[in-house]
Amino acid sequence: MNLDKLLETGDRCIFLEPPTCTAHCPVHLEIIAFISEIEKGDFQKAYKLMEKKIPFHRIIGRICDHPCESFCVRQEAGGTISISELEKAVLEYGAAKPKKVWPVPKKKGKIAVVGSGLSGLTAAVDLDKKGYEIVLYEKSERLGGRLWEHVGESLQEETLLEELKQVKDKGIHIQFGQTIDEQRLSDLGAEYDAVYLGSGEWHQHLEIDPITFQVGQANLFAGGKLVTQSDSVIFSASSGRRAALSIERFLSKVSLTDSREREGVFETPLKQDVSATTALPRLEKRGAVYSREEAAAEAKRCIKCQCRKCIDGCNHLRKYDMSPYAYIRQINHSERIILGTHYANKMINSCTECGLCEEECFLDISMKDVIQETRESMVERNKMPVSAHDFALKDMAFSNSEQFSLVRRQPSKEASKDLFYYPLISFSDYVKGLYNGTGKTEFLFYPGCQLPASYPDDVKSIYEYLVGHMKGDVGIYLGCCGAPADWAGRQDLMGENIAAIKKVWEEMERPVFILACSSCIRIFEKYLPEIKIQSLWDIYIEKGLPNKNWIKTPQTLSIHDACATRENRELQENIRKIAESLGYTIDELSYSKEKTKCCGYGGLVYYANREQADGFVAERIEESPHDLLVYCTMCKDLFVSGGKRTYHILDLLYPKENEDGAVRKMPTFSERHQNRSRVKRLLRKEIWNEEVDEAAADDYELVIPETVQKEMENRYILLENIQAVLKNAESSRKRFYNPQNGDYLACLKIEHVTFWVQYAREAEKFLIRNVYSHRMEIVEE
Amino acid sequence: MYQKKEDYQAWICDKCQQELELSKVKVHYLEGEFEVELLNCPTCHQVFVNESLALGKMLEVEQGLEDK
Repeated sequence: MNLDKLLETGDRCIFLEPPTCTAHCPVHLEIIAFISEIEKGDFQKAYKLMEKKIPFHRIIGRICDHPCESFCVRQEAGGTISISELEKAVLEYGAAKPKKVWPVPKKKGKIAVVGSGLSGLTAAVDLDKKGYEIVLYEKSERLGGRLWEHVGESLQEETLLEELKQVKDKGIHIQFGQTIDEQRLSDLGAEYDAVYLGSGEWHQHLEIDPITFQVGQANLFAGGKLVTQSDSVIFSASSGRRAALSIERFLSKVSLTDSREREGVFETPLKQDVSATTALPRLEKRGAVYSREEAAAEAKRCIKCQCRKCIDGCNHLRKYDMSPYAYIRQINHSERIILGTHYANKMINSCTECGLCEEECFLDISMKDVIQETRESMVERNKMPVSAHDFALKDMAFSNSEQFSLVRRQPSKEASKDLFYYPLISFSDYVKGLYNGTGKTEFLFYPGCQLPASYPDDVKSIYEYLVGHMKGDVGIYLGCCGAPADWAGRQDLMGENIAAIKKVWEEMERPVFILACSSCIRIFEKYLPEIKIQSLWDIYIEKGLPNKNWIKTPQTLSIHDACATRENRELQENIRKIAESLGYTIDELSYSKEKTKCCGYGGLVYYANREQADGFVAERIEESPHDLLVYCTMCKDLFVSGGKRTYHILDLLYPKENEDGAVRKMPTFSERHQNRSRVKRLLRKEIWNEEVDEAAADDYELVIPETVQKEMENRYILLENIQAVLKNAESSRKRFYNPQNGDYLACLKIEHVTFWVQYAREAEKFLIRNVYSHRMEIVEE
Repeated sequence: MYQKKEDYQAWICDKCQQELELSKVKVHYLEGEFEVELLNCPTCHQVFVNESLALGKMLEVEQGLEDK
């Protein structure tokens, strides 16, 4: 796996990117944190945040020209946040005595600072803190420069004097009445290790580097109005700070230019979408400063800009508290481990690979693609936990075995001649279809593995409908498309599966595949693009519904689109057309069509992390008060299991008398196998008139209480496993016995899993008490 | 991984009609090989694995080995 490319993808994620206000603040105050503290009423913590980032915060907090406000995204939803007014309030309510800082020994060098305006003072204090000896040269008889022009309503003279006194108290040497001209400047350059020029004015033009603030190549650096060319207070302070950083780099003999792109103001990649935000006006202060309540109310208006679009839509990302940036870092770490535990395995197997994150992300970051690649890499490197997907792959193997697998051409005209009599031939579309048979298979009905498992009785009806409505012979092909192998990262099994399907396609002279399952559609599009496909549901729209049963009482449904249909707008619309033509009203979910969510089955999460799958179900079924309509049998079964009334489109197309399709119970894993086999036997017998052996009669009669049946589902244990254990136990007597209650306990290893069954005999019946399994193998003596 | 003989005294080996004894048994999964004391029949050495062991410590070790 290309881990550099992986990290590049993760770095595009803007989750950790700063909001535009902080990005455009020349000193990068942590504005969201600042405002969050005010909202909580913690003015002291907010004050500390100002103290941390703003030089001379007690001054600037009162007179800042707040460039941040003009970038605040709330301007499109009622008005920008009054950040500057909030700062004044915090200074009023949250002020604390500064912590006593022990002065650092001044041994790193001597620096001259020319001009004691805001930029010079900032440079001086910053460098003094870092251990440089500072000598401040001021033209007038007092510190502060043009700060004095700001004394007025917001800034009291007393406050200014207090702050300026602190400069003296630090022990910075100050020389008043010093006018520095070109000659003196040059002398200072020779006498000191570096010079900062913040004089506001200079008689000649200076070439000042905009990033390093260096003048020429010498030890002279400039800032303040000389650089900003404006009266901005905050840019002045910022330039002093940045020039001081340059001086430090210069004297430490490190690069003056490395990694300084975000030192000043910058454009943040974080673009916040406020289109759905209700407009709320700015709070206007009633006194000189916001009251505490007013400040909290204004702070509440702050959107706390952060890109959470993918997270908001995904139960998995929220459960693991991961942004794509963090997730990719975890995967990168996991891929690089040579010796050690891969803690991220379970998480990686808990993504449904539904693609919603990519759909929501304006940068098109696709965790689906990342996870798919990661799983394939894990398999390649032999690091994929076997237990995650073993059961699902065995289920796929069952579907491809002779217990289900079937390929048949449409019954020939010759073989069907017994049906060609009146009235059948006039009124049965199916018989007419057989009568018009040509022997060339134009279409192959491929229902997939789950539809026959959940709706075994409808497969024949659907097949007959297709024979009667399609122009050309319709064959049938039962099997599994390989979606479980794809999700499990098993490209080896995928290759075998695809080869098998292709072989059938070639042998049948390349018919069009009619697919009922949207996951099959996704697999065919990905791996078999040469095969033309049609969706069964599109055909119902094209050729007409099988039963024209308009509903008697009006009903509103919400449609849950299968996640595999994300890019298939036509299919999504056709499902809606079917429902509406039957008289249903549709109330769309907010995450619908291309923004649909996964039910929890995707990515084999239902097998790898049942709890995660339950999370998807629980979230989805809460989204609508109406009954749901789905068109994937797994979505149907998962939602019904979660207690939600859910119709499958087949329930509407082929309603059953005296049955409420919306509460139809999910088949157990064992029933899925049985139903698939039943479909094969039924079709062979009733469509192709073949001699068919009924289901195995040599199975024991089992009595399984409901609690044990539930354990079978939770522990992925099949009836066939139990039968095998019992057969082995009864014949070999290799089992344990409890004389107190007459129970037996037996085990059998079947394909690397050891199944245990506790049971009792009651005449011919086997009463199953408990079932469990483990993968650890016991070395038999 | 361990079992206490007293907890499972009710069970005997059906084939040999013998009470179970604790003795060292080899188990393995993936690259991990262990020797643990488990209840088994002293005659035919059929090993007794109860539910809480299978779904508890064994599962824990299996998952740990799968994540290595």
